[in-house]
Amino acid sequence: MKNALVIAAREFEEKRFVIYAAVAFAILPFLLAVIPGISGKSPQDTIVLSALIFGTTFAIAVAVISGASFIGRDLSDGRMSFYFSRPAGSASIWFGKLTAGILMIVGTFGFIIVPARLATGDRWTRMISSSSTWSVVYLLTIAIALFLIAHVISTFARSRSPLIVFDFAAAVICGVVIRLLLLPLVAGGAIVLLKWLAISLGIAAVVAIVGGGAWQLERGRTDRRRNHLALSQFLWTTMAAALLIAAGYVGWVVSAQPGDLTSHIEASRASSGPFAVISGNAKGRSDYRAAFLLNLDDGSKWRLEPRAQWGVRFTRDGRSAVVPHFAATAAEMFVYTRGKGEPVDTGLTTSDRDFFVSDDGGRIATISDQLLLSVYDVAQKRSLASVRLPFAKSMRAFFVSPDVIRIYLNVPDLKIEELDVRTRALRETGSVPSQAFMVAVPDPSAAHMLVHAFRSDVLFLNDARTGAVIKPLSTSAPVKAASYLRDGRIAFVDGQNSAAVLHILAADGTPQRDISLGAKKWVTILGDDGVRVVLTDTDVASGNRMFEAVNITSGAIEHRQPAHNSVASVVFDPRPSIEPLRDVLDIDAQGHAISWNPATGATRMITGG
Amino acid sequence: MSDNAIRISDLTVRYGRMIAVDHAALDVTRGSVYALVGRNGAGKSSLVRCLLGQQRPQSGSASLFGEDAWSRRTSLMQRVGVVSEDADAPPEMSVAAIARFCSRLYDKWDQDGVEARLRTFGVPLTSRFGSLSKGQRKQVSLAMALAIAPELLVLDDPTLGLDVVARKSLFEEVIGDLADRGTTIFITTHDLAGVETFADRVGMMEHGRIVLDEDVDALKSRFRRIRFAAQPVAIDTAALRPTVMRSWGGGAEAIVSNYDDVSFERMRSTNNIGAAEVEAMSLEEIFIAIAGGNNS
Repeated sequence: MKNALVIAAREFEEKRFVIYAAVAFAILPFLLAVIPGISGKSPQDTIVLSALIFGTTFAIAVAVISGASFIGRDLSDGRMSFYFSRPAGSASIWFGKLTAGILMIVGTFGFIIVPARLATGDRWTRMISSSSTWSVVYLLTIAIALFLIAHVISTFARSRSPLIVFDFAAAVICGVVIRLLLLPLVAGGAIVLLKWLAISLGIAAVVAIVGGGAWQLERGRTDRRRNHLALSQFLWTTMAAALLIAAGYVGWVVSAQPGDLTSHIEASRASSGPFAVISGNAKGRSDYRAAFLLNLDDGSKWRLEPRAQWGVRFTRDGRSAVVPHFAATAAEMFVYTRGKGEPVDTGLTTSDRDFFVSDDGGRIATISDQLLLSVYDVAQKRSLASVRLPFAKSMRAFFVSPDVIRIYLNVPDLKIEELDVRTRALRETGSVPSQAFMVAVPDPSAAHMLVHAFRSDVLFLNDARTGAVIKPLSTSAPVKAASYLRDGRIAFVDGQNSAAVLHILAADGTPQRDISLGAKKWVTILGDDGVRVVLTDTDVASGNRMFEAVNITSGAIEHRQPAHNSVASVVFDPRPSIEPLRDVLDIDAQGHAISWNPATGATRMITGG
Repeated sequence: MSDNAIRISDLTVRYGRMIAVDHAALDVTRGSVYALVGRNGAGKSSLVRCLLGQQRPQSGSASLFGEDAWSRRTSLMQRVGVVSEDADAPPEMSVAAIARFCSRLYDKWDQDGVEARLRTFGVPLTSRFGSLSKGQRKQVSLAMALAIAPELLVLDDPTLGLDVVARKSLFEEVIGDLADRGTTIFITTHDLAGVETFADRVGMMEHGRIVLDEDVDALKSRFRRIRFAAQPVAIDTAALRPTVMRSWGGGAEAIVSNYDDVSFERMRSTNNIGAAEVEAMSLEEIFIAIAGGNNS
């Protein structure tokens, strides 16, 4: 310890001219402030800014130059024996020189900054912000990091050893491994984890370089090549160990299973078939989000990037899901199919924000921000058509068949357009005049549709292609929800909040059955399984949200289940599903994802608690 | 306590494929003066670095006062004064600053002695080390090395750069005085004439190997130059082994490495050799004879 201080003092004495230069630079901001052409209106601003610029530049320059010379130059000039022929241990030599170097950086920075800080008072605080202390700490941390890096490069370069090729390769490998470690955390939105991983690896690098410096002098002493070898061994071994530990931790973090998810659960499910996407934070994994594409029938799963969750499109036949794999600015589309292990790369890469898929997933259509509608064939891996859509406040588009896409555009009239993929022609097939926002719900064959204006009392049955009115269905009570059933029948809920009624109609609009639901508001029709319609609604008296399975034939409410945060179906297609509804997802009061079977009323836990 | 101040055992140093020191071994007893000689590149400096714990040999060991020089370097250096081959102090430091720095590292330090020696050498304390001549730098290094009253003084080619007066002063006044006071001295040098008067033992390195390690008196007593008035018909090599044999004037000159009077007289009578003149040789002449002989 004493010898380290003696050596530090010697280093300081040798480099005292650097301190003199720092003192000169400390005076310079005050001189600049009195030069009229430079200082402008506020001499204090000039002092603050110039002191910061000079202080930062000076500290970084001192860091790089000192780092490159404080050991490396003594080795290459053959002067290390000056220390080693005296009773000074290798650690004393290293830590003495290191301490002097770091104090020199901090000292020169302080010499330039502190007088300006004292002279400008609160002007400094206002200009640099209240976090000025941290800014200074960050600057000094960067300068000291540069000092250490310069030492490593200097030792390697000055040894003139071919070992530098290995060092370069090791540095590249470290960089690649760090990138590989960071990518899944970036994809998982784990900002806190990323920060701690970066800090941990930074500390490991500092330990590797500082420990490596002591080790290189202990093993290499006056021999520059052996110094290089020893530093190289210590540095890369330590970094390899640190990266191995980090890789183990990151591997554990990203290995989270659906059962491990405990908080911030989010989910979406296919309206048809057993697919669901679920994401959340797992226990002990900080803010990392894991996401899965689940088959609720057999429990099989694929791991997804969490941000892909909201880009998933399920096919209407319930067999597949199309998932975007995000790269830097674009996404590659992959098709996941039930019963198949690996997803299939469609070959389609797009930066377009919206897309939808045909019933069987054989075709994908994208809509760009510039309203360019493009159709892509998955099997042929080629673009089939591309047309520009007219502007609309909102739009819904879906494949009527693999060759026909229908688009409902609110402009605010409901305009109906169709793209014929074979002829690549886009033409308007009809419209529904309205001044209000119109909701159009087509039947399974897309021949007819239910149309009602948002928050209106009127529900119409229209021709889905031309928009022509076939007949009004409800004209007297507020329409709360309307949908087609899978068999083509119509289901809608209307009535005052005190007495909501579920109406079942034939496909042509002939009433078949009215089922009283009681005092309900905020009703949504989730789907049907052929026997029962599944609703979510809010009980007016209790204010509780419930799932309700209503038997279409008997009119009885067979099963009820508290609904806390019911999980929406994510489809671009407004038509009813092809497959029967089997499971309803909900995030319960404890934040767990649960699945409710409306046929049996049974629930099962999907995520852990 | 070991009787040896220095022990080098089977020491080998390699730089890549090049062998700098090849299984070297030597002992230096306490209080003696050992001179290691050898041509440039013979491996002397590598051996000295191992001896001072500055370099780890690939195999073998170097110990000082019975302790391993590599692992116990820090404590050993309290007892060892060193004058390196290349004066190695930072060039920006003044001589006074070097003395101040060194004084803080050693347990004992004779500052007055340092100043007195530097005055004798004519080196001002205020001079920057980098501004001194090569000889003055050596003198500064020597002054620092002597300030701790070392038990062992290691001098790596100390006369390099010194003028004749300074060299004579170094050998006669400094080293001679230290030797008289019982300080062990290990010196590598090309100046054999300088060390001849006080070296107790001499070693010679060639191509990394120690080819000679012997007491100076014994060495000098067995080497003789014999000049024959006429060309001898033959020399009985069993009796006298000529290291060098060459023509000289009308006769011949032989340098023998195993001379003794009895053998010489027997050879003279056996081979019927006429007039012959026997001369003692200096260390330098012996060194040249050995080096030349080995090279030939």
